[in-house]
Amino acid sequence: MSNIIYEAVNWNKPTSELAQVFWDQQWKQIWFPEEIAVSKDVKQWQSFEHQETYKKVFAGLTLLDTVQTNIGMNQIATYATDLQEKAVFTVFGAFEAIHAKSYSYIFTTLCTNTEIDELFEWVKKNEYLQYKATKIADIYNNIEEGNSESLWKAMFSSVMLESFLFYSGFFYPLYLGGQGILRNSAEVISLILRDESIHGVAVGFFAQNLFKQFSKQKQEELTVWGYDLLLDLYQNEMDYTDDLYAETGLSPDVKAYVRYNANKALMNVGFEAMFPEEEVNPIVMNGIRNEGSTNDFFSQKGSSYAKAKVASITDETFNFKNRI
Amino acid sequence: MKTYLKLNNDVLNRYNTTGQLELEKDREATRRYFLEYVNVRLRYFIDIEEKLRYLVEEGYYEKEFIELYDLEFIKHLYKKAYDYNFRFPSFMSASKFYDSYAMKSRDGEEILEKYEDRIVIIALYLAQGDAELAERAVEAMMEAYQPATPTALNSGKKARGELVSCFKLSMDDSMNSIAENIGYCLELSRLGGGVGVNLTDLRPLGDPIKEIQNRASGVIPVAKLLENSFSYSNQLGQRNGSGVVYLNIFHADIENFISSKKPNADDKIRLATLSTGIIIPSIFFELMKRDKDIVLFSPYDIYKEYGKRMSEISISEMYHELLDNPRVRKIKRLNARKLYTEVKKAQFESGYPFEIFDDNVNEVHPLKNIGRVQMSNLCTEILQVQQKSIITDQDEPNDYGLDVSCNLGSIDMHEASKVADFGKLVDTAMRLLTNVSQMTYIKNVPSVAKANKLMHSVGLGVMNLHGHLVTQGIMYGSKESIEFIDGFMEALNYYSLKSSMEIAKERGETFYGFEESEYANGNYFDSYINKEEKPFQTVTIRALGNVPIITAAMWKELAKGVKKYGLFNSYRMAVAPTGSISYIRSCTASIAPSTERVEVRDYADSRTIYPMPFLNNDNAHLYVEAYDVNAYDLIDLYAAAQKHVDQGISMTLYVTDAWTTEQLAKIYIYAWMRGIKSVYYVRQRLQTLEECIACQI
Repeated sequence: MSNIIYEAVNWNKPTSELAQVFWDQQWKQIWFPEEIAVSKDVKQWQSFEHQETYKKVFAGLTLLDTVQTNIGMNQIATYATDLQEKAVFTVFGAFEAIHAKSYSYIFTTLCTNTEIDELFEWVKKNEYLQYKATKIADIYNNIEEGNSESLWKAMFSSVMLESFLFYSGFFYPLYLGGQGILRNSAEVISLILRDESIHGVAVGFFAQNLFKQFSKQKQEELTVWGYDLLLDLYQNEMDYTDDLYAETGLSPDVKAYVRYNANKALMNVGFEAMFPEEEVNPIVMNGIRNEGSTNDFFSQKGSSYAKAKVASITDETFNFKNRI
Repeated sequence: MKTYLKLNNDVLNRYNTTGQLELEKDREATRRYFLEYVNVRLRYFIDIEEKLRYLVEEGYYEKEFIELYDLEFIKHLYKKAYDYNFRFPSFMSASKFYDSYAMKSRDGEEILEKYEDRIVIIALYLAQGDAELAERAVEAMMEAYQPATPTALNSGKKARGELVSCFKLSMDDSMNSIAENIGYCLELSRLGGGVGVNLTDLRPLGDPIKEIQNRASGVIPVAKLLENSFSYSNQLGQRNGSGVVYLNIFHADIENFISSKKPNADDKIRLATLSTGIIIPSIFFELMKRDKDIVLFSPYDIYKEYGKRMSEISISEMYHELLDNPRVRKIKRLNARKLYTEVKKAQFESGYPFEIFDDNVNEVHPLKNIGRVQMSNLCTEILQVQQKSIITDQDEPNDYGLDVSCNLGSIDMHEASKVADFGKLVDTAMRLLTNVSQMTYIKNVPSVAKANKLMHSVGLGVMNLHGHLVTQGIMYGSKESIEFIDGFMEALNYYSLKSSMEIAKERGETFYGFEESEYANGNYFDSYINKEEKPFQTVTIRALGNVPIITAAMWKELAKGVKKYGLFNSYRMAVAPTGSISYIRSCTASIAPSTERVEVRDYADSRTIYPMPFLNNDNAHLYVEAYDVNAYDLIDLYAAAQKHVDQGISMTLYVTDAWTTEQLAKIYIYAWMRGIKSVYYVRQRLQTLEECIACQI
């Protein structure tokens, strides 16, 4: 028997700034893919011109979410030191699993089994996808016990994945959904995005706290490492975008959007933005709104209902002295 | 990509990033939309004669109604409509009209109607050969009156749906009735209707069947059957049918019913697409106030004991009698506060159930001597008496009761304040609505057809309140805004009664049961005749514009006339939530506050950006967003309007996720105390992460 003393997580005493806030926000926005009627897209899908691109976009996203579930959040949770933060990462991981599964839900609704099998084969063969998965997974797998530098690197990579690398894929459903094409699949994506944006902010916030503890020299070293990684991933992302979007003519728009999000990812970890500001397609920008847009009873399920905060009704509830 | 969509989206993007509204982008989007989309598809006709000939010969328009008028008159009417020089004020209005309302060729390639053409056809069709009314209809619609979607969309078309789209059905506690009503739901759903079904009279889960205990399955499986029927019947895949089921809060199945909409509900009870509403008698609130338990009953016992169905009695009046009667089972006891907390939880998590305050509805019900209002419809603004049909075995004739169909129309409050003759506008609207009710014959639902023939009910409502208030510099929810809505709705009520009386006089016919109504005995008018006449504030008078202020003396005169001639319409007013029709006219919806200054509208298959009407960089502060309006002020405003509306008003409440269930309960209780009849959705704005962190640090 080892002589490690196990500590229980005590939520009554905050040990981590904002862990509770991130926890609450994540649970508040719980959702399941089955709540969205993707089947309403089937009719449009049948005559949709760029099916190949669309399917591959989703297959690529599936891979990233799989890496993030199985390796990313697990590894970070394992090596993070604060018990409340560990819990938050574990919850994030669970949501990543929902995301990865939700793409399958869309595939099941829109594609045949053969098509689905081919897609998962394509994922294994696409060099750019494999490159980014390997790159990030390696950093995750190299976290060492007690080495906060390696943990910071993993958190940095996690933010790059969630706030930057996803967006070459998110672009397409947002772009189409904003024009009334395959709206329900886009709704799924906007729900995933809503989660990823918390993950990016939260992991980035924890990474920044860690970063502050490093010496000036170490900080400079890690900053160089960070930008190097980003540039490396960026080059790969540009190639991936060209490969994926070739037949649609959308490459330049996707790339602008990727740069916009790379800047956001850098800001999440407390780094300076790297790419000059440029115009991003407004239809896609409007797709990332996190508030519920206005729906009515004939429309899709809105994304704006969440868990209730329960408080008991008391005698005071019936007191309207100020009003009546 | 379509440049107009990009331009339209840019309005929001710029507004979000810079806080500046660039309306010229929206105007440019509208212009591009015409250049790139509309003009290239618009079929060109040499003149009106050729246009009509083509559309009739090709089977787009019905021939009969056009033949009721002579060609010169029709030409004159077109000219009249075009002389208004109508321009779509926003991209939203233009795209909504051409996407959804304008007549298109069968292959969808050609646009066959412009806005003015549609208005003229609606006028000719609804006026039924009455040239004077047709002319008035064009004026009213070009200025301030908008028929509801099914009327606006279908009038005059050869291949068309019904002109009405709102129905209420009442199910009885028998397999015959359940099966019959499911059939009705399929039919009405096929016609594009939204259907409300009252399940209150069905025996609950575990009740006896043929005296054998523990046999009944309760209301939820019936609700599931209805849900499936509505999804099956979907107007050629255009849109799914929609329905709502209502249940009394004292019904023994209430707990499952409340949970049925929660996203995490058990699949066996979960209602994914069907809406739900609960009916709450005042006794429930009184018991809750005293922190008492409530007792749940079975309608089966009530019917056996009293020969009346649960929805036919006032639970508030009968509650203690039911408690004392040993032959009425006390199926379950529940703490009222806990149960209501469950209702609030469900509303936070799903927006449902709607609530109908039973006694608030029935105490002021003008037809209370004829029967009770037992339920509402899909948008909670229709509140009309029903009588149960007796559905028998196939070898016997059914005895049909009264169910409800309702046709709606709305007045743009801003434009109405500017029309020369407000009374005439309301009268035109009432006559058009009345004609719709006369032209509607739902042959496959006999109880609806029968009621329509006897009752001639209509629902005239309003829209663009928030927009109008902004033009007047009045803040939504302020004292002035409440005074304004009070004055406006009183005038609308007055003139709609006057009109209904005139129609009764002309036709020598009243609605069925008029003699027993509160209109006939004069009670309805008492509060108006005895009202204290306070002078309005200057700003309110200015906001009312040409809408007359109604005096007690005018009411007294009207009461006399109504007594003498009766009323043609059993119900006249109802304020709908007005979705699409307010978009076409660039109005704010209903009397609701706008939810966003620049709204993103997802409707079926499109996303459009809609800056609120009259919004500019200087008046943005007046467009206080719904979530920032004090909920109590909002309720006071609706209560002021509700006094003048014989049916209901669709009222949505707006909360943020910072609210607790207790705070939500409190505003509902307040609404009940202020005489509100129904609450539609609770809409919730999720705080974004930035906001959460901002309030933490």
